[in-house]
Amino acid sequence: MTRNAEAALLVGAAAVAAFGVALVNLAQGDGIDAQVALTFVVILASFGGFHIAIRQWSPDASPYLLPLAALLTAVGFVEVYRLNRGLASLQRWWLLIATVMAVSLLLAVRRTGLAPLRRYRYVFLLSGILLLLLPLLPTDWGFPLRGFEQSGSRLWIRFAAGPLRLQFQPGEIAKLILATFLASYLSERQAILAVQTRPLRRYRLPEGRQLAPLVIAWAASFVVLIYQRDLGASLLLFALFIAMLYAATGRAVYLASGGFLFGAGAVTAWLVFAHVQRRVSGWLDPFADFADTGYQIAQSLFAFGSGSLSGSGLGLGAPDQIPNAATDFIFAAVGEELGLAGSVAVIATYALLVAVGFGISLHSRDSFRKLLAGGLSFALGLQTFLIIAGVTRLLPLTGITLPFMSYGGSSLAANFLLLALLARVSHEERV
Amino acid sequence: MNQPLRRLAAALFVAFALLILDVTYLQVIAGPRYRDDDRNPRVVASRTGKERGLILSADEQVLAQSIADPDDPQRFTRSYPEGELYAHLVGFSSVNFGDDGLELVYADKLRSKRDLTISDLLSALLGGDQRPKSIQLTIDHGLQQVAYTALGDQRGSVVAFRPDTGEVLAMVSKPSFDPNLFLSGEAIATRESLLTDPAEPLANRSTNRTYPPGSTFKVVVTAAAIELGAAGPDTLLPDPAELVLPGTVEVIRNFDRGVCADGTEVTLQTAFRRSCNTVFGFLGLQLGAEALTLEAEAFGFNQDTPFEIPVLNSFFPQPSEFTNDLPALAQSAIGQRDVRTTPFEMALVAAAIANDGIIMEPMLVSHIFDTDGQVVSETEPKLLQRAVSPSTAAIISDLMERVVASGTGTRATVPNVRVAGKTGTAETGVGPPHVWFIGFAPVEQPTIALAVLVESGGEAGENATGGSVAAPIAQEILAYWVQSNG
Repeated sequence: MTRNAEAALLVGAAAVAAFGVALVNLAQGDGIDAQVALTFVVILASFGGFHIAIRQWSPDASPYLLPLAALLTAVGFVEVYRLNRGLASLQRWWLLIATVMAVSLLLAVRRTGLAPLRRYRYVFLLSGILLLLLPLLPTDWGFPLRGFEQSGSRLWIRFAAGPLRLQFQPGEIAKLILATFLASYLSERQAILAVQTRPLRRYRLPEGRQLAPLVIAWAASFVVLIYQRDLGASLLLFALFIAMLYAATGRAVYLASGGFLFGAGAVTAWLVFAHVQRRVSGWLDPFADFADTGYQIAQSLFAFGSGSLSGSGLGLGAPDQIPNAATDFIFAAVGEELGLAGSVAVIATYALLVAVGFGISLHSRDSFRKLLAGGLSFALGLQTFLIIAGVTRLLPLTGITLPFMSYGGSSLAANFLLLALLARVSHEERV
Repeated sequence: MNQPLRRLAAALFVAFALLILDVTYLQVIAGPRYRDDDRNPRVVASRTGKERGLILSADEQVLAQSIADPDDPQRFTRSYPEGELYAHLVGFSSVNFGDDGLELVYADKLRSKRDLTISDLLSALLGGDQRPKSIQLTIDHGLQQVAYTALGDQRGSVVAFRPDTGEVLAMVSKPSFDPNLFLSGEAIATRESLLTDPAEPLANRSTNRTYPPGSTFKVVVTAAAIELGAAGPDTLLPDPAELVLPGTVEVIRNFDRGVCADGTEVTLQTAFRRSCNTVFGFLGLQLGAEALTLEAEAFGFNQDTPFEIPVLNSFFPQPSEFTNDLPALAQSAIGQRDVRTTPFEMALVAAAIANDGIIMEPMLVSHIFDTDGQVVSETEPKLLQRAVSPSTAAIISDLMERVVASGTGTRATVPNVRVAGKTGTAETGVGPPHVWFIGFAPVEQPTIALAVLVESGGEAGENATGGSVAAPIAQEILAYWVQSNG
């Protein structure tokens, strides 16, 4: 596929968004107004800018990444617009800011390539851990950078200086930093981790010394769970860590011990934390405690059921009945208004995007880039799976965003940076 | 490194495949279950905001209407202009709690057929009218207001029928509530406070609460006696101050703890007029359980009464239950012990006497009409069952007239109108008595029969009697009715 075909598809995605906004307007009794044009322009400016930056600084990058992400962003934006127009106009700003960040990253590494990311891995590890711990800052101290709690989870940092208030969810960026660190660390140590062992009974285990940094990463993910009550980020980071360890070494023992640690952690969390128990009981039978723990998931199920095969049509359903519909539950809104057709299309698009990411990884020769692309793709796929499985009651709800579709600046920025990294890897590997 | 990466990718693709199966199950297989769940706000929303038909009183007072939103003529808000006055009858159509009362029973007529359900679509194709239908009640708005006001702040009920048609003329239950609150933003809080209110404003005392009928039940016992030929108005019966119940040392006493007449013998007529418990306890024992149960059932006890809104069955025990318990039989004959009835049923008893012994099927909706005012269906008066023969009815009518003329019910007297009635003061065992008045007027050609119940003595408390508390309420209602109907 050529760059020009990619550009055409991006125009198509912007048209999908504009068309969707027009349908929502019509369904809600408004005429076609400036929102339609504005949406078209902003989505086109965002992905167009990204596209031009790739043409400029990573011309050999895969042409499949942006169109798939743009389609998801467009569908997500239409649902956010349908649910809350105030959030939608903010989302347009987040899109532009996320694009600037992704373009800046491509610009910054245009000469050096991804090598600096590899070189300064401990800086990344440290900053990642710091980022994860930042929300634990006091909420009311003199320094303008403060922790911030929202709906029971301590996931936010807030920069408040005078009238300026910026909120940010560092957990979203942490997955990029963790993937980068692990790719760098493991590509160097993978030989050692895979081979150098000492006999312990009949099993062969790696040296404890070499595992130390990994244990730190693991501990950090549990700090996230315990102090910030963020099930989703904690599970995502831990699974990413195990998956990359497995990818680097090919040793299933890491999967098994990871699975064991996860199981032990999950049971402990369930026994100890009331908010985990609430999630689990809401999952097992949302209708038993309909008014309280089961309410949100029950509303989500009503939305999916009401959507049926072909959906109610954009703007014609009632997904606004679901608490947090624009963020965690955006997929339920798609399921209701676009029906099974829409929800399967969205899942398939994610599957394609993840496939493109793994394709880049598999075709990479350099082990750092291979692990980086593999880790990022895995994180993207797992995050998508966890939140969709959560809102459809396949798994307990973990409360993370749906990449590209959920409302939120932190999430968009993190996933745009993820796209930029994948694009850069594919450019360097000429995939 | 590629093999583990491939496996990770494969695991994710399996996970995505699971998601597709999952949404397919959720949206197609289990979908209808979730879609039609009563708790699904879409189900409720599909009913609300739509236009519903009018509910009118017999004299065209609007009791429920849908008002179009000035900003969006396709959206309607339901309103109940008469609020508390008709809450238990008309009910409500609420987003949060669904429908109730006539709004529930006639939901299918009242709602518009534009929901594009398969059956609606079919009826549209066949040229059916999609617009909502309206219903007109048999209730007389003026009478309903008088009854509501007459009860005052006391807990209780008034039910009034037109005896020869079975039309409900008034039906009031107090305390009441404002159904408009169920449509407001405070619906949930309103419902909570109504549910926990000890006065139970949500209960429809007319049809959904049963009470011991007390002495009003003597109408049924007397009917049994006359029908069997066991006694007539002039039959002399023993007149002790205390009736010792068979096999016990317990006694039945008269209300004033005295004798009924002179302490020797008394006519049935006098005993009825003065509502003497000792005489009726004795009469009940003489007639036997079989006769009492049969007569109670002839008046509608122990059976479902067809009516637009659900009615709790009134209860009189089966004869077998008295075989080894004659004291219970004597107490049942004065409307105590396990006998339970609704104000609705006691109004039917009065209506039966007023209508030559025939109970007409009660009706609340006189007709249904469409948006053009064309009558779609009309309720015809229907005979439900015969309670007593015309001659028995005439005798009891005369006895009841004497109750109002010179007995326990004198406070129901309406000047220049012949009023018949029977009072009741039912002991509850705990707290003040429930007091009753049942009756009809004018005796020569009755146009109204009613039952008045005041719970726990009302404002009079322990001192309340049917004659002092319920009869004056009946008097106001009967006076208004007879005056406004010539």
